[in-house]
Amino acid sequence: MSESRTTEQRRCISCGLNIAGTNAARFKCPDCGDVIFRCAKCRKQSNLYECDDCGFEGP
Amino acid sequence: MTAQDDEGLDAAEEEIEAEPAEGAGPAAEADDVEPVTDEESAEAEEAEAETDAGPALDDDVMGDEEADLLIPVEDYLGAGVHIGTQQKTKDMERFIHRVRTDGLYVLDVAKTDSRIRTAADFLANYSPEQILVTSSRQYGRFPAEKFAEAVGARARTGRFIPGTLTNPKYDGYIEPDVLVVTDPIGDAQAVKEAITVGIPVIAMCDSNNQTSNVDLVVPTNNKGRKALSVVYWLLANETLDRRGAEPAYSLDDFESGI
Repeated sequence: MSESRTTEQRRCISCGLNIAGTNAARFKCPDCGDVIFRCAKCRKQSNLYECDDCGFEGP
Repeated sequence: MTAQDDEGLDAAEEEIEAEPAEGAGPAAEADDVEPVTDEESAEAEEAEAETDAGPALDDDVMGDEEADLLIPVEDYLGAGVHIGTQQKTKDMERFIHRVRTDGLYVLDVAKTDSRIRTAADFLANYSPEQILVTSSRQYGRFPAEKFAEAVGARARTGRFIPGTLTNPKYDGYIEPDVLVVTDPIGDAQAVKEAITVGIPVIAMCDSNNQTSNVDLVVPTNNKGRKALSVVYWLLANETLDRRGAEPAYSLDDFESGI
């Protein structure tokens, strides 16, 4: 239960895929403080992300 | 200025910088643009020509909606925070308000203001000593160091020694939790190492920057001395404000004598 929940939480906010490997980032949403994960590929490609809680659009 | 600084690119920059300073007027945009390439020096000359023509500031720099800005819009314009470059990238398109007749892209000041607040909120989540600010640009060094002093962060200005974030054997090795860069192009090594260690990156991006590997963009003119001073000053004040501390610095404290 807790394992699947952890996996669910570690999904990239842009592409929705599970984060694997290095170069990913975990940080709090600049607006609301909700935890955001971005995978290496989405960071590199500068894919937009939108916070699920507050709707903040980055980068 | 150390002997090391007189070598290489820095010395070249100084040689170029001397020219616009001689003929520059009192207006902000003219003496303020850091000329690194031929294109950028051309932009500086264009900006200078414009300010010589008249004192009126270009006031079409944000959307129609009224925005409550941190400082009056005239102060932003006076520092040239809104002045972009003659190039634009797809990444920065959403922060660009319009293009001037001389080809310079104008950044949306309301978005710059909003992102400074957002960046301050973001930085307030981290302990001061875990923030790293870098600037390889000459004009960004003093404001970056002053920002670090104000908020208690660490600064690495000038050449970013490879391994600073990744090589534990290096004497200057540090493990920050967040990175603030003045220019993603100039500070590419810092961004690269931040990616490797998986920490978020806040970058001050001009209209010609790509936002690859950047987690939070602060759209601003990152080539002007006054623009960088204003942005770092605002960011420092807002960050201190979020922590409940009293901002003790004025804009003059962030303006270098370069």
